[in-house]
Amino acid sequence: MAIRHLLTLARRSQKPSPALTQAIRSLSTAPAVATSSSPPSPPPPNAMVYDRFAEAVKNKLKQLENPDPRFLKYNSPHPTLTDHTSILTSPLTRVTTLPSGLRVATESDLAAKTATVGVWIDAGSRFETDETNGTAHFLEHMIFKGTERRTARELEEEIENMGGHLNAYTSREQTTYYAKVMDKDVTRALDILADILQNSKFDENRITRERDVILREMEEVEGQTEEVIFDHLHATAFQYTPLGRTILGPAQNIKTITKNHLRDYISKHYTAPRMVIAASGAVKHEDIVEQVKKLFSKLSTDPTTTSQLVAKEPAIFTGSEVRIIDDDIPLAQFAVAFNGASWTDPDSIALMVMQTLLGSWNKNAGGGKHVGSELAQRVGINEIAESMMAFNTNYKDTGLFGVYAVAKPDCLDDLAWAIMYEISKLCYRVSEADVTRARNQLKSSLLLHIDGTSPVAEDIGRQLLTYGRRIPFAELFARIDAVDASTVKRVANRFIFDRDVAIAAMGPVQGLPDYNWFRRRTYWLRY
Amino acid sequence: MYRTTASRLRALKGCAGNRVLTRFASSSAVATSSSSGGFFSWLTGERSSSLSPLDFPLKGVTLPPPLPDYVEPGKTKITTLPNGVKIASETSVNPAASIGLYVDCGSIYETPVSFGTTHLLERMAFKSTTNRSHLRIVREVEAIGGNVTASASREQMGYTYDALKTYVPEMVELLIDCVRNPAFLDWEVNEQLQKVKAEIGEASNNPQALLLEALHSAGYSGALANPLLAPESAINRLNSTILEEFVAENYTAPQMVLAASGVEHEKLLKIAEPLLFDLPSVPRTEQPKSVYVGGDYRCQADSGVTHFALAFEAPGGWLKEKEAMTLTVLQMLMGGGGSFSAGGPGKGMYSRLYLRVLNEYPQIQSFSAFNSIYNNTGIFGIQATTSSDFVSKAIDIAVKELIAAATPGEVDQVQLDRAKQSTKSAILMNLESRMVASEDIGRQILTYGERKPVDHFLKAVDEVTLKDVTSISQKLISSPLTMASYGDVIYVPSYDTVSSKFHSQ
Repeated sequence: MAIRHLLTLARRSQKPSPALTQAIRSLSTAPAVATSSSPPSPPPPNAMVYDRFAEAVKNKLKQLENPDPRFLKYNSPHPTLTDHTSILTSPLTRVTTLPSGLRVATESDLAAKTATVGVWIDAGSRFETDETNGTAHFLEHMIFKGTERRTARELEEEIENMGGHLNAYTSREQTTYYAKVMDKDVTRALDILADILQNSKFDENRITRERDVILREMEEVEGQTEEVIFDHLHATAFQYTPLGRTILGPAQNIKTITKNHLRDYISKHYTAPRMVIAASGAVKHEDIVEQVKKLFSKLSTDPTTTSQLVAKEPAIFTGSEVRIIDDDIPLAQFAVAFNGASWTDPDSIALMVMQTLLGSWNKNAGGGKHVGSELAQRVGINEIAESMMAFNTNYKDTGLFGVYAVAKPDCLDDLAWAIMYEISKLCYRVSEADVTRARNQLKSSLLLHIDGTSPVAEDIGRQLLTYGRRIPFAELFARIDAVDASTVKRVANRFIFDRDVAIAAMGPVQGLPDYNWFRRRTYWLRY
Repeated sequence: MYRTTASRLRALKGCAGNRVLTRFASSSAVATSSSSGGFFSWLTGERSSSLSPLDFPLKGVTLPPPLPDYVEPGKTKITTLPNGVKIASETSVNPAASIGLYVDCGSIYETPVSFGTTHLLERMAFKSTTNRSHLRIVREVEAIGGNVTASASREQMGYTYDALKTYVPEMVELLIDCVRNPAFLDWEVNEQLQKVKAEIGEASNNPQALLLEALHSAGYSGALANPLLAPESAINRLNSTILEEFVAENYTAPQMVLAASGVEHEKLLKIAEPLLFDLPSVPRTEQPKSVYVGGDYRCQADSGVTHFALAFEAPGGWLKEKEAMTLTVLQMLMGGGGSFSAGGPGKGMYSRLYLRVLNEYPQIQSFSAFNSIYNNTGIFGIQATTSSDFVSKAIDIAVKELIAAATPGEVDQVQLDRAKQSTKSAILMNLESRMVASEDIGRQILTYGERKPVDHFLKAVDEVTLKDVTSISQKLISSPLTMASYGDVIYVPSYDTVSSKFHSQ
């Protein structure tokens, strides 16, 4: 104790007064150039070349001895809890539910000159059957191919002429169609969305032509190994349940899907109570509600809810694995996952914090071996992976939580150990500082992502479908702040401790330990 | 909402509870120290927190009052410090702020000794400074959950920091420290040199970027011919001394702009001024001259396809706004893209190259117009990928398209209006993002010395006429041709053959 006190004293006395430092600083920046060509203390004539190098390095290190307090006023490497209330104000999210059950939600920013309007639908590949798997995605393609009022060409030209974008995506539980347009074109964009969703023609010729396009897209997706790994992971973790099927569907189905399948899917799943019209940017709530009332009048009002569908065919997690050995690929990749939380589970926030705790890493990221996540440090210092990423996916009744990694084949055992060690460590040893850092990072990443009208509309649409409301950022932050080290340990005990895992691996993966090895490492026998 | 699922989960939780009970009998010592929800409830596996499910509002949260729907958009305010550093900012309603430090410096300022310096500087960004170690920097950024990035181009360097508004002082301090006081420790430089080399080795994976690089080295004589992606032999020469000299020479006060989106000007000034006022105020280095000469570049590679690009000089550059805007519209007008690309309507499916080339010739995999504009000059052209036996036909098509754009009456008003509308909406949609906004402030001030309001550019786009498009295209193709090809280049016709096609009429 005394020694430490002396040390700090000594250090303090070394530090010159601020005024002095400044003088030194400006000196050291300008002649930094000079140091190498003519070092201040010329080495003795009999010095060897390595002496000169040593001298140069010493000079350089000397620069580091007097940090300038001017530049060290605000930052601290130790994460602290900060109050963000003052910045969490945002325009109101207004939600109106129409008699048909259709919800309209908007966030206005009338100063903007652009807007995003879209339809978020509580339907996706999960609600298909084995025979119709792929219909949701096929439909997403066919919906741009002409209606009774517009041919495909007219539709495309209309959008292009107003400089807008029309886009769509399908996932396992959601389908989205949205348009990004200038403020004056919002009405037309809504009209187009209503038209394609209610009056699409599904011309037989077009369907035949689109089969080839989708089969080609399938080839593209098969080239993206990350997508393939996660498809396999779902297929094994949720085997014999609807979540195990892929979004694109098997090639056989793509070749046989008919107009009737598409029509059937629309009338069953594109129903008013399962849809949300979300808009953000230069839009007025009342105007959008009025137009939606007029335009979306032909939607099916089938009262079946998704929770009924989910209850009928729940997704059940099965501990299992799939390995596809291919020695011709230079890098191996695998994902190991636990059964995670559903969207609405109160512990899903803690799992998000845990995902941030495990972090992600890749060879080219700036942080290198200095990042806070201990898993990333292990990976970076030992150079046992090309990249690593923790993931946490939520579904209506379940989720997947785990780590995906890409590595050279000779590192797989070390990497698998590091991953399993760090995941199961969450049940035993979590430091408060790490949790605070993860919380800060999570809060920032959630907010930083909202940059522009499309992310806002996306956020509204997704949250209304999954939570039935839009969670205010203040509440989200409060929920994140409620997660501390003991919560992490409790949640880890619920989801990780002695739980089955699902593994998907591809490439030269002979070196990856077997399933029982992984299963054994979901708990420790020492404390 | 999802009652059924919720009840099912509760059943699951029950069994989880039992397990926790058996397990923690042996680890109570750990538990007592840090349990927040009471040790007993934790031991029995009950929730340590009594939070409601996410579909129900959390009790006890005070929500801040909502913002009005209309908030006056902030004006860009600029202050020039006595030593020449410019500090600019605009406010926004977004809860996050994006701050960037932009330097008027890039590969054009390199000399043969320092080729590759900008690339290495980009990689050395946010490494140890004389005040903080790399470890400390990484942890400080993580402590607030921000994102830092650096980018290097031929004329400008950018360092940006994106984080929540609450952390503006932290952001400014770190950003300025990292740009002003880099330590360039030898081991860090060497580590990054290895990574730069690896990156250069992988450059052949991106033939499009390679071709753009080649167009500059073949087309220009002088500063713009300097490689942005230097060859490995040049990289080997680099060390910390060269970096220090380069920074001392080019990172001077008049060449720097601190730009922020989402920060109040007074606040930014208060924090940034004490950190920037003492930068040496030396007269800024003269921008090195480049002369466009035209030329040919070919590189044989095993790939079965051929990538090629034809380009011409677009005189004027950013500083001649009218030309720059016409060129941007012309690029939208010609458009193009890949024969197979994702995305719905709105990606330019009715641009000339899409309709007239991609929809007609299945052998062509991608075909698009591109431009890269600099302060005083720029290049414009067509870049394409085809199967190698089709390349001479594809070059003919590209020649035909460029000549067509320069022929009066070829482009019609509908096409031009569409291109103008797309240009305008692209500008506005990009500016929605605070990161783009802050970058726009920084780069405009470096180029023009001021930030022009967006309406100014929209008006310039509106004013573009068919005659402007024709005349700029004519000016383009009257300059010497630059040609670059990569892949299976044996079928690529000779430079003179292609060049003569433009001048024969």
